[in-house]
Amino acid sequence: MTKNLIQPLESYRLAQYAWPVPCYICESENTFDAEFCTRCSAPMALAHQTSAQQTAPHMISVIGPSGVGKTVYLGMLVDMLSRMSNDMQLLARGAFSITLQQTTIAALSRCRFPEKTSNEPDRWNWVHCQIRRARQKQPSELIIPDLAGEALLEEIDHPGSYRVIRAVLKKSSGAMILVDAAKLQEGRRDHDFFTMKLISYLNELDELPKRKKCARPLALVMTKADRVEQCLDDPQQFAMTHATGLWQQCQERFRSSRFFAATVAGACAWRESHSEGRCQIPLRVEPHGIVEPFLWILEQLKIKPPNGRK
Amino acid sequence: MSKIQQVAVLFLVSQLALMSLFVGLFFNVPVAVAGGGAGACYLVARIAWFYRKWRIAARGKAVVRQRPRPAAHAEIDPSDTDALVKQMLAQGRYALLLRPQVAKGLGKEQLAEAFERLQDGMALAPDGEVVLGRLDQALEDGILEEHEIAACAGRVIKVKQFFLDRYPVTNRQFYEFVAAGGYEQMSFWDQSIWPAVLEFVDRTDCPGPRYWEEGCYPLDKEDHPVVGVCWHEANAYARWVGKRLPSDAEWVKAGSWPVPVSHDNRVQRKYPWGDMFAARCANTWHAGIGATVPVTEFADGVSVGGVHQMIGNVWEWTSSNMRGEELRGYALTSDVPAKALRGGAFDTYFENQATCHFQSADSMLARKPNIGFRCAVGVCDLVLARAVQPLRDEADQSVDNAEEIPA
Repeated sequence: MTKNLIQPLESYRLAQYAWPVPCYICESENTFDAEFCTRCSAPMALAHQTSAQQTAPHMISVIGPSGVGKTVYLGMLVDMLSRMSNDMQLLARGAFSITLQQTTIAALSRCRFPEKTSNEPDRWNWVHCQIRRARQKQPSELIIPDLAGEALLEEIDHPGSYRVIRAVLKKSSGAMILVDAAKLQEGRRDHDFFTMKLISYLNELDELPKRKKCARPLALVMTKADRVEQCLDDPQQFAMTHATGLWQQCQERFRSSRFFAATVAGACAWRESHSEGRCQIPLRVEPHGIVEPFLWILEQLKIKPPNGRK
Repeated sequence: MSKIQQVAVLFLVSQLALMSLFVGLFFNVPVAVAGGGAGACYLVARIAWFYRKWRIAARGKAVVRQRPRPAAHAEIDPSDTDALVKQMLAQGRYALLLRPQVAKGLGKEQLAEAFERLQDGMALAPDGEVVLGRLDQALEDGILEEHEIAACAGRVIKVKQFFLDRYPVTNRQFYEFVAAGGYEQMSFWDQSIWPAVLEFVDRTDCPGPRYWEEGCYPLDKEDHPVVGVCWHEANAYARWVGKRLPSDAEWVKAGSWPVPVSHDNRVQRKYPWGDMFAARCANTWHAGIGATVPVTEFADGVSVGGVHQMIGNVWEWTSSNMRGEELRGYALTSDVPAKALRGGAFDTYFENQATCHFQSADSMLARKPNIGFRCAVGVCDLVLARAVQPLRDEADQSVDNAEEIPA
């Protein structure tokens, strides 16, 4: 049986094809129907959503070494903020912004950690959201990407290998650097060095004259603090004792920086499985210190409503 | 006005008053004398007001600093059985009095009183079977393999009747143990842990739970569950009061209250109050409190047997080891020896992790702000027949009396 279909004349689409759409992250030109930017692989949905707004959204980057817990932290942060109702609320803009929250929460509720973020930028999760605060009449807009740790390391060691990372970090108004508190306590310096590299990289991007401090706020979040009681009790003191180099770098290079302790899993164990081998699993989920660094960054940025009114 | 400003004003007023009084008297000016007198009166009144304020503040501080008086505050002659029994009852050690070894030396009234205290403080869970480790549908999402699902069919365990504390052990109750020198009496502690007992100190390095100060709990948290105690501290307290920690199966049985519907099947509740989560029944992350609450709150979450706060407020230590393969379908290992925890706490984020079926675990030495405990005692471990007899006699008497009144 044949079906008669009426094809509308979509000549307006041709006009849209002719008009290039700049990527929100790297600002290179793309066609109207491109899903990802051809240059940096950032989702073009960000460009479409932000083009309709009067002011550009702020960007906050959550960075750190591989396995430090960036995806868990970000997914948990988004979920907690979206479930808060009094002072602050987060509303995701676009279905793609919910994917990170969905995968993280689905995994954690089953006592698993989410899968490692792929190194391919077109498979990264991006959160574009609206922040509504009790004191502000107008909501503010934020974009937070979930970058892969290994890709970050690659970009730092070989600049230009991941253009999207360079573009994101350059555009970010504030940054959260995640450090593994348990590894700091063990005295393993690899995370410490990686974080110092990240700080130097951020400084280079700002292209500041010598002796001038970076203006963007930097929150250093020490994750997996449930295993380090001292870190939960006093994160500043813990950082001064166990990450002295990092502490000094922050003091010297950033105008406002602060250390925080965060934890998602109350306790962890090792799961031995025939199919997946040996992997770490959370025995329960008890988030602590997740929202505080984010609120501090917002406070430092003094994010104003989109139209500039308070 | 700051304290320095207040002192400066007082000093100025006193100088002015003295000067005007001096001038008034010397030059015989009545206005100056009156002004000086008024100034002096103001000065006296102000000093009196300061003194009163200081007294109130000092009294307030004295009240805040006042430590609760433990039941074992006075020395008791070991031969004075009556006084000893009263002290033990005040300390909440009624289960110890009902142990066969102790009970044989007690009178009927003393035993009856201990039994009454047992009934007030503990709920009875009957004999029966309980299924541990049945796959929670909320956790199954299609990624488990066949053998994993088969392993999660559950394990039926027979439980003998036992008593379980109606409420988690409170700070006040644990204070009795600390004040009675529980941390120094090594007979209550496993020999393997003796070297570590010295490290079980509070914020001021006194023996006691981690978040206490100077061997005393925060006074506004008297009836909150005791937290910051490791498994060994919980176990030592339980021994001191003549009880023990509940096993994993006992805890689940008391909470989920299984009802046999056929010879091989039984209905078990997901929560003590039913199968649906209700935020008003448990202090979890959903309640938005973010801290422990008194053990008497969230009374709607009471179990069928009359046990409160099994879900939420604090995780509870059990005597069982962390289980992997039998409960979850895969082997589970921990870097340090771990014991099973049950019930969820004030910061438990997911509803499916604060159920009667969900088991968590932690290191035996973990002293965390969201882990407490409650105690259990087997019915077979107590001498109930002798203790109940006086009550029966009394009941028979009252029935007789009731019959006699109309006559």
